[in-house]
Amino acid sequence: MDRAKVMPLLKGVLVLAVIALCSGLLLGAFNILTYVDPLQATYEQFAADTGATFSAMQDEEGQTFGSGSVVYYAVSDDGQYHAFLASGGGGYGGNVQMYVYIKDSAIEKIVIGDNSETFLDRLEEANFYDNFIGQNVAELDVMGVDVVSGATRSSTAVKNGVNAVVQYYNTNVAAGGENNG
Amino acid sequence: MDKQKIKETVLGGLIKNNPTFVLVLGTCPTIAMTTTLFQAFAMGLATTFVLIFSNLFVSLLRNIIPDKVRIPCYIVIISTFVIIVQMVMRRFLPDLYSTMQAFIALIVVNCIILARAESFASCNRPLYSMLDGVSMGLGFTGALCLIGIVREFLAGGSFAGFAIPGFPTMSGAGASAFGFIVFGCMMALFNFVIQKIGERKEKLKKASLPLSDGTVHSAAEEVAK
Repeated sequence: MDRAKVMPLLKGVLVLAVIALCSGLLLGAFNILTYVDPLQATYEQFAADTGATFSAMQDEEGQTFGSGSVVYYAVSDDGQYHAFLASGGGGYGGNVQMYVYIKDSAIEKIVIGDNSETFLDRLEEANFYDNFIGQNVAELDVMGVDVVSGATRSSTAVKNGVNAVVQYYNTNVAAGGENNG
Repeated sequence: MDKQKIKETVLGGLIKNNPTFVLVLGTCPTIAMTTTLFQAFAMGLATTFVLIFSNLFVSLLRNIIPDKVRIPCYIVIISTFVIIVQMVMRRFLPDLYSTMQAFIALIVVNCIILARAESFASCNRPLYSMLDGVSMGLGFTGALCLIGIVREFLAGGSFAGFAIPGFPTMSGAGASAFGFIVFGCMMALFNFVIQKIGERKEKLKKASLPLSDGTVHSAAEEVAK
């Protein structure tokens, strides 16, 4: 092997590896400083959005309905709110997470969480969420709602997430004979 | 440190080589993140932070990094600082983070940062490189804020979130296409002003050139007479 050719190559690989290692260590340190427990963060978000307190949480990761899934589900301590963290697939930048609150069998509030979408503000402008808010969950046809033009994939992701919540609620909560207040 | 070089570096980033209005780099965040002044300011600050530290480290490692692998090395350094910005924002400014998440991640491929690493930091001392990062970053932030002020005013009739009563609003001003129009108009205005100032300086210089008999007459003296 030609030593003169191999040495610079090795040096390049070595330098790049050392830089990557150092940056990995730095990021690890920052991760420890800024880590947020997802369960704790969900509790805080639920409480902040509803003003109610939540003390028990069901981990429903894997409860999938179509392209959406329910991640966490909790009932507020006074039994008024059913709070969901749902994830909708099919977005432009992957999954869109959203917090959905159901009160008296109707969707009361939808808050968008973690996402990589760039056109979500168009949904707000087009009053897209009004298609769901205030609707009775038992009668709501989520997948029949029109998407917002110019943000088709973002609205599809939101629809998938809301649909998962509605399906979950109708099959597990309402059919379970639980008193919804 | 050389005073002249400091002055050149600072003025270069802010005015002469303003990354947005003169070099026309980083157009993607310029259009997408300038719908409100606050968003534009936050985007500018995040970019400035990454710019300062990536410039510093590229400059510190400039004699160690082999030429052939310099671009991957720069990208690793830049993305490290972008992820740090992301982590800190997610922890401490979650509301802001959820609205500009995608664009924070895109700072990695922001051409201003790679351009400064490649053309300035890789051949200058660390302190100059940091200074260049500060001035370029502030030039970018300033330009974004100017566009943000105009677009927020036209689209929502407000300044930094405070509504100004009595002005009609244009909802279309928030759209990307209108962003380009505002961007173009402001770029033209900026370059016009810079050119006028340059011409005036040139005139003053000419007016104060030594005459053939060796005496110096400046324009100001002429006026005083």
